[in-house]
Amino acid sequence: MSNLARRTFLQAGLGVGGLMLSSSLSRSWAQQGDPIKIGLIIPLTGATSQFGATMAQAAKVAETEINAAGGVRGRPIQIVVEDDQSNPEAAVRAAHKLIDVDKVVAIGGSYASAVTSAIAPLCWDGKTVLLTSSGADSITKLPHDGYIFRTSPTVTLQGTSVGKYAVELGAKKMFFLGPQTPFAQSYIDIISGIFKAAGGTGSGLVYEDKKSSYRSEVDQALKESPDVIVLGGYVPDTSVVLKDLYRAGYSGKKIGFSFGINDALTKAVPAEVSEGAYSLVPSAAENSEAYKRLISKMKRPSLDSYSCQVYDHVVLTSLALARATSGQANGTAVRDNLRAISEGEGKRLDDAAEALKAVVVGGQVNYDGPSGPLEFADNGDVKGVFFRYEQIEGGKLVVRKVG
Amino acid sequence: MISYLVFAGTIAGFYALLSLGLVTAWGQGGLVNLGLVGFVGLGAYTSALLSGAGFPIWIDWIAAAVVSAAVGVALCFVVRNLRGDYLAIVTLGFAEILRLAETNEKWLTKGSDGISGIVAPLKSDLGESFPFFYLIMTWTLVGIVAFLLGCLLRSPFGRALRAVRDDEQIAAVAGKSVLRLKLQAFGIGAALSGLAGALYAHFTSYIAPDVFIVQLTIYIFLAVTVGGQTRLAGAVVGSIALVALLEASRFIAAAIPGLDAVQIASLREFAIALTLILVMQLRPEGAFRMTNERSGLSASRAASESCYGKRAIVDDAT
Repeated sequence: MSNLARRTFLQAGLGVGGLMLSSSLSRSWAQQGDPIKIGLIIPLTGATSQFGATMAQAAKVAETEINAAGGVRGRPIQIVVEDDQSNPEAAVRAAHKLIDVDKVVAIGGSYASAVTSAIAPLCWDGKTVLLTSSGADSITKLPHDGYIFRTSPTVTLQGTSVGKYAVELGAKKMFFLGPQTPFAQSYIDIISGIFKAAGGTGSGLVYEDKKSSYRSEVDQALKESPDVIVLGGYVPDTSVVLKDLYRAGYSGKKIGFSFGINDALTKAVPAEVSEGAYSLVPSAAENSEAYKRLISKMKRPSLDSYSCQVYDHVVLTSLALARATSGQANGTAVRDNLRAISEGEGKRLDDAAEALKAVVVGGQVNYDGPSGPLEFADNGDVKGVFFRYEQIEGGKLVVRKVG
Repeated sequence: MISYLVFAGTIAGFYALLSLGLVTAWGQGGLVNLGLVGFVGLGAYTSALLSGAGFPIWIDWIAAAVVSAAVGVALCFVVRNLRGDYLAIVTLGFAEILRLAETNEKWLTKGSDGISGIVAPLKSDLGESFPFFYLIMTWTLVGIVAFLLGCLLRSPFGRALRAVRDDEQIAAVAGKSVLRLKLQAFGIGAALSGLAGALYAHFTSYIAPDVFIVQLTIYIFLAVTVGGQTRLAGAVVGSIALVALLEASRFIAAAIPGLDAVQIASLREFAIALTLILVMQLRPEGAFRMTNERSGLSASRAASESCYGKRAIVDDAT
């Protein structure tokens, strides 16, 4: 009896498995012909998933635009989204599926640095381009053979920019308050270094996120009597820290990153709490038309830099393939043509459809997207990133400087 | 498609090793090790660091298993008075401590950047056929481990271990060294976790502290629960079923029209939770249930022995 029950149980399992497999096989065969597939590995569930939903939406917008403009080499493009579950192990499985089953030409999106580092070897082994929005400096030092393009400024660059701006604002004593992230200590070291070089001092404190009060951390920071506090956290913890700073009567300068001080934050805290806080936003040139078009298509008041980057990942891949008129549509073609459509002497275009049409007729194009001017150094790092320095004034972000 | 299936099969092999370890410690020894993933990380880091220092890979793998076992035995010794939920909480915390140590000891582990470029055995020589080689090697190891554990658990050691699981005091009264048996079972589980971690590290060539988070522990508990927590065959079948579920759910969820990306991803997580609930409701003992073990002293000794060879790998005391 027990054997019989087990047999039924196993048979049921096998039946369901077989059904799943057959449906997957028929899918991959049915689609072998037409569309050019572009993979996305983005965090949709788990600890790093705060931007996942808008990343997927932005990629969809790019897909629609490219296909409406006639697609690439007469073929439509198709986005295949996989969830990284905020876990490198799951991301490796997802990347294998995209490369081996979907035969994608490029993988875009990858957000957490550990996820990017984990899937990078698969990409260069599989001759698939990896476009990433991760910040860790180590990623482009990998032996990637040109297959990695990073559209996000590195941790070092962001830290340096914040530090220099704080010095420029006339601060002498810096204190860093940020949650336990891979970058927290790097930020403290980099920004302190800048302050010391400018004749000031710098120190910092790394806290545990998800706390409901940072009173003791704030007290510890204020003991140093800093004239600028750098906030290295995300929106949930930064809003609590700002409230505690306000309660403690701190009147010095506050400066943070776009993932912490942004529109969501201005809505989360009263205007007097966030008043005067500066934010560093990696961006295209001021008033970028591409950015405005993207947010109006997504029907949103604003959009985080990471989703803009994912949009650009799809556009860059499509343009590069469109330029490679001969040979197979594969990852190597994307790698070899990506720089030719994003930088150089060509016509500066910030509209994906326009750029695609120009590339198709053989024109020289320098595409600038909503995430920035998109020019890449030899190691794949983005260069010439603009930063928008914004300040909260009466509950609204106002641009103070672009550079 | 073939290379994808080969990859998924290899992952199933790693999960099977972990599940075999969990069956030994939890199913047979009653020790709930929620810190499984910590030992996976320990093994992965041990092997990666030694291989980076120039030691041959077979030494790295043995060292990974030995270090994990040693740490496992030490942990089990320290918390020897804890049982059930309390042991589960301590082991869960211990895995988190290991992960934080891996994150913060940058001089050794390169912190959250992780270690990349971990060499794979014979990869340059084998080229295209490397994934097949690794698949076969992993499953050969699973086979060897399952066979050895089968022998061990059928032996007097196995019976004593099950006695400890069922009632420590009775086992102690019967003259069994409860502590030693627990340490051994926990150590075997930890060693297999470490070995699986080492195999994983050299297969994917990259490890970071974020790889070793509690999600993997939960997956392995799911695999073992579905397969049958006391049975080695259950561990292997459960692992294959788990990977099939994890991977097939990608295709199924994506085929449902009208869902956005977040909903598809959430649906996959939901499917995994639902599977666990359904299994617990419909067949809580898993695919391979606990079997009764004859004492060998009864009159029907011959009958029990004829059954012995044919039945599944591990029999069990009630």
